[in-house]
Amino acid sequence: MNKFLLSLVAALSCVWALGAQAAVDAAKAEAFVKGVTEDGIENIINANIPQAEKDKRFAKLFNSALDIQFIGQFVLGRYWRTATAEQRQEFIDAYRELNVQTWSKRFDEFKGRNFIFKGTDASNSANQIFVNSTVPMEQGEPAKVVWRVKQIGNEFKIVDIIIENVSLAITARNEYTAFIKQSPDGVAGLIKNLQEKTKAVDKKVS
Amino acid sequence: MNKKLLLGLFLVFGLIAGQSYASEPDSDAFDQTRENSVLESYNRAMFGFNNYFYHYLLMPVARGYRYVTTPSVRRSVRNSLDNIREPISTGNFLLQGNLKESGITLARFAINSTLGLFGLFDVAEGWGLKKKTTGFDETFAKWCIPDGPYLVLPFIGSATPRSTVGMGLGFVFDPVYWGTRHDANVSDKATYAYAALQAITIMEANMDFLNDLERNSVDYYTAVRSAYLQNRKNMGCRSSEDVVNATASYDFDFDIE
Repeated sequence: MNKFLLSLVAALSCVWALGAQAAVDAAKAEAFVKGVTEDGIENIINANIPQAEKDKRFAKLFNSALDIQFIGQFVLGRYWRTATAEQRQEFIDAYRELNVQTWSKRFDEFKGRNFIFKGTDASNSANQIFVNSTVPMEQGEPAKVVWRVKQIGNEFKIVDIIIENVSLAITARNEYTAFIKQSPDGVAGLIKNLQEKTKAVDKKVS
Repeated sequence: MNKKLLLGLFLVFGLIAGQSYASEPDSDAFDQTRENSVLESYNRAMFGFNNYFYHYLLMPVARGYRYVTTPSVRRSVRNSLDNIREPISTGNFLLQGNLKESGITLARFAINSTLGLFGLFDVAEGWGLKKKTTGFDETFAKWCIPDGPYLVLPFIGSATPRSTVGMGLGFVFDPVYWGTRHDANVSDKATYAYAALQAITIMEANMDFLNDLERNSVDYYTAVRSAYLQNRKNMGCRSSEDVVNATASYDFDFDIE
């Protein structure tokens, strides 16, 4: 390969990298995540309202801030392609329900804490960006929380939350694909299991 | 861009391509394990045993501990346990070439062992000397020694070959062990009591999260393994400060095909 070709490759890859970054507005993405966390802390965690109302508000925030369709598709991995349209919808619904219930229950542990935003990092995935934040702990080092944000037109959606380097989406994907591989009923078995888990949480709450 | 760099890039991509070619045809790009089926069946069995042990022995004891102590008492216990191990961090930061943190941990140990009443109170934190711990495992990571496959150890739980060696060295260099080793009788008792206290405090701090994770998992073993291995990437084989987001390394695949 001669020098001209090398520099051409280098130049093209730079342009490509710049193009990928320019697609997402970093400042707006950070402001979006900040807004979501402030909304959650002020209007849900610190609000003086009954638990049922908190759950309702949380479900609303969760559904508007996260692109659960995208996350669900990622989480199912290669099984998304083999699932029927009906199964896909059932899975997304079950996954959404379980997450809303799990998280609204854990939300109160966040009382008295807040996020400190630390700028963004570029992502190589199309229209995505990482928003960095830390949460000061009572003792020792603050916890690192990174938000993977996707821009769709003028709209932003969270597509992954990475806590201390543990990606919720990747963990779920590893877990669910391992389950499907072992389950005799495949995706249907997973959906059934998730629905049962949601019911079990339901019972515990009421 | 110079030729060496380009050659390096080709080599790296060649390696990645070679690896994905070598792995099973149905493996997932995000499946970070290289666990074979024999190891996995051992791991799952040991994981089940440990879980039984946690639920029927360690968690009840941890709940009892929580019941009879206040948060400030638990914090003091945690402080002094951490203080005992502070010299291990000092040595390891030195091995990692991090003089600043090494000095901070040494100063913390001196201040908290005296003014902090044998480590019960973290006085140094109030002076701006923030707690930051490290160990042999992290030193090996910084030296770019590979981690090896996921392993479940009896009673201890999630580990890898590298973390196991690191833990063993950490045990040998623990002040409680080498401080009492001249007297076998004292050493045994002190070491067991110390290990038990550590196990109880760690379980007390983590059991709510673990129970929650177990309740919401369809495959608890895989969820724990995945989170454990991802978290370990934090240590990275790079300089200490720049590992902000190791998950970005999965980035190329975070598009839906």
